[in-house]
Amino acid sequence: MSVARRAFIQMSVGATVGILFTPTVWKALDDVSIWTQNWPWIPTLKYGEVKGVPTVSKMCESGCAVKVRTVAGEAFGTEGNMENPLSGGGVCPLCANGVQVMNSPSRIKAPMLNGEEITWEKAQEVVAEKLEAAGSKVAVISGDQTGTVNEVFSALLADKGSDAFYTMPCDMQAADKAWTGLMGGSGQVGYDLENSDVVLLAGADALESWGPTVANLKAFAANESGKFYFAGPMQTKTASVTDKWVPVPAEGMAAFTLGIAYYVLQAGKTAPVADFGQFKAMVMNDYSPAKVEAATGVKADMMAAIAKDLLAASNPVVVPGGSVAAHGAAFALNLLLGGGMKALPEFGKAVGTAMSRSEMLKADILEGVSTDLLFVYEANPAYALPEQVKAGFTVAFDSVNTETTAAANLVLPTPHCYERFEDLASPYGVVSATYSLGAPVSKATLNVKNAADFILGLADLGFETYEEVLEAKVEAVGADMDELVEGGAFVAEGDAPVAASMAASELGKAAVPVKGSGSVGLAPYTLLNVGTANQATTPNAPCTISNNQLVGDYMVVMMASATAKQLGVEVGTKVKLSGGNGECEALVQIFEGVLPGIVAAPLGMGHTVGDEFSKGKGDNVYKILTVSSEAAAGASTWAGSTVNVAKI
Amino acid sequence: MEERKASKRCGGALPFIIGFLATCVLGWAVIPGMFYEKVEQPIWFSHAVHVDGEGMDCESCHYFRDDGSYAGFPTNEVCAECHAVDPEEAMEAIAEEGIDPTDYEAIMKAELGVIEDNLASSDDDKMQAEREYVVKYLIQGKEVPWLNYQYQPDNVYFSHKAHAELDIAELAEMKKELSDVVDPAVFEGEAPEQNCNLCHVKDISTNDVPPAFERNILSGYSKMTMKMWKCERCHALKGQPNACYTCHK
Repeated sequence: MSVARRAFIQMSVGATVGILFTPTVWKALDDVSIWTQNWPWIPTLKYGEVKGVPTVSKMCESGCAVKVRTVAGEAFGTEGNMENPLSGGGVCPLCANGVQVMNSPSRIKAPMLNGEEITWEKAQEVVAEKLEAAGSKVAVISGDQTGTVNEVFSALLADKGSDAFYTMPCDMQAADKAWTGLMGGSGQVGYDLENSDVVLLAGADALESWGPTVANLKAFAANESGKFYFAGPMQTKTASVTDKWVPVPAEGMAAFTLGIAYYVLQAGKTAPVADFGQFKAMVMNDYSPAKVEAATGVKADMMAAIAKDLLAASNPVVVPGGSVAAHGAAFALNLLLGGGMKALPEFGKAVGTAMSRSEMLKADILEGVSTDLLFVYEANPAYALPEQVKAGFTVAFDSVNTETTAAANLVLPTPHCYERFEDLASPYGVVSATYSLGAPVSKATLNVKNAADFILGLADLGFETYEEVLEAKVEAVGADMDELVEGGAFVAEGDAPVAASMAASELGKAAVPVKGSGSVGLAPYTLLNVGTANQATTPNAPCTISNNQLVGDYMVVMMASATAKQLGVEVGTKVKLSGGNGECEALVQIFEGVLPGIVAAPLGMGHTVGDEFSKGKGDNVYKILTVSSEAAAGASTWAGSTVNVAKI
Repeated sequence: MEERKASKRCGGALPFIIGFLATCVLGWAVIPGMFYEKVEQPIWFSHAVHVDGEGMDCESCHYFRDDGSYAGFPTNEVCAECHAVDPEEAMEAIAEEGIDPTDYEAIMKAELGVIEDNLASSDDDKMQAEREYVVKYLIQGKEVPWLNYQYQPDNVYFSHKAHAELDIAELAEMKKELSDVVDPAVFEGEAPEQNCNLCHVKDISTNDVPPAFERNILSGYSKMTMKMWKCERCHALKGQPNACYTCHK
């Protein structure tokens, strides 16, 4: 071994020992350990001022007044808005996920003509051409029940000589057809859930999916001494917290309500309408408790007990859900009782040639739509009404991909409601006329355009932009724009309801329960976390969907053990439900809170287009609903749908 | 035999000691500095100009919000209260001149009235720094990516509010125990009214040219980032909790 080599080794050992007496090694180890925590794919937080920016959300049917939580101007969450009576600090499960939907990969990124990306100028050209060619054969389907955007669309229809304005089927439409159509009432019906001492929810799943759910929940919580009944074919979440669940099949709701009216009339209650005598005679002859019990299965004693409570109350209210007949019967009962039913004034119009809300609700989409040019605004008829809508050319406005945008000829992306000016006028069910408005919280990052701005570019409706329309609306309402943008609501008290008639002849016929020919009744129900006709479930919601609605990718239907025995099925049996012109697959769950002879199935699943949270999850119950005609009431209904159930 | 003798002559403890001392010197004096690279702030910001020159106080830019959170670096919204260039007007003027709005040099060279007339500085060099801020950030709607000397990672929750009442004069009593945590120079002389010096660059409020940010080449953290043991030391000395969730929420 050479001397130099030995010395080198000795020096190396010395150097190695020496380095251990310095911070170098230990610091390097420490830094490396930190380095391993800083992978580029780990998301980093954004820092800055945290704000709650008030606006309105249109993801649920009634719309929510919300505050969008932002950090350094970037939206990251949604919470309720304490200052707005529609919210009182609460938010519904759909709107709670507004930001997640706004950032969803399922957003539509640019205008698309037959699957090809085009410019907005080209889109304008194409639609103008189609509009010219269609003449008056133009129709609109709107998924927005409360926005002034409907005024813009209906004014376009008026400009073209069409009145084909459709909303998706909703309780607001059934209520309007009954109240202004059959009974000659005026205004929008509202219900005082907070101050009524007895509340009969006759089919209205008010604490889960009916009407302004968040405001209903707040009113329910505030009404500590009120007695609440829920009548319906299954024990919903609403029924689980009310004082009493009264099992009533959906098709029997009108008869059940008239059965209660029988006792109320017997107690001497009257209403100042021209056909009161005819109404009384109709109820006393055709809807005696014994007859109603025979037709619906609801015990006469139960109806008597409810009637007794309603008669003893100082401010009772009956809140209907379902068919036009069920609404008419409930309104008639409210007119007899007096109390918590209100007639809300409609706010002034911004666009002079637009339809009133009541006019917008007249056309019945369940009877079918056939037109040359169809505008669909943030609605999903291809999912919920696959057989009812036929059009030569469809223009779909939406912010996310849906079955309707997938089938449309031209898809025009709208900003998410947090990216645009949006308003919310008196959602159906609120006790007072309420107007709220929101300004954009986030800048639009995609190539989107407000649908109303696009329509205003097609015809001269007196406005250049939708912002101008909303300014005119706020003025017509009599509200202050600044206060609205800061999250407050303009509120106008409702009046006592006044009707011209109790629709005796129509109700007498329409209230007779009519069922389909399937082996069991179908009770479709809506849970907001599962989705609605227009809005699929949202990114954070699936983890809240229980095994009673979805197991794996299978929808779950619930039935009483007696029904299961009748059908020869048990828990977990895979079944096929056939009804209308469609079929659904599901697993069976036993729940004694469903009327015997009825299968309860959740609406809102089974999407074929959408994000990973909704696509392919469960099955679409809208396919198996049966549309039946309420000929006497001049309407159509899904109530009374039946299905055949077969094991797979 | 020959080799062994030679070895005895040249070997023994000497090479070991040479190696030992060499790496000791390198390890203490040279290598630690090689862990960091110096990075300049994106633009020249002079605290002296704003504080001494304009009479601003710390709270003009660094303030507690109503909810108790700390504003930290000022946003464009705050800066624009004085640097009153209208971004919309500026962009219109840039478009009129046919300049690419992202070509900062061209915009600055064009000396557009809408920008130049609203610059607050008088000295050329300071005016150039202000011009850079306006052109590169303010009118572009981009926040300045200031380099935070006291950067803490996202998993550390630090509340300025909770530390706002710490008193330097009071802490001076335990400056020996805190000598590894706080620069002892902080405790020299008359204690300032505010306690920023405890963690931040000393007397930054009177600084004219901000010091370079020293970024660790391995971890990416600032050289001044307070390590967890330092937080814990001070918490322990002050009788504050040291549970994980105190800082890792």
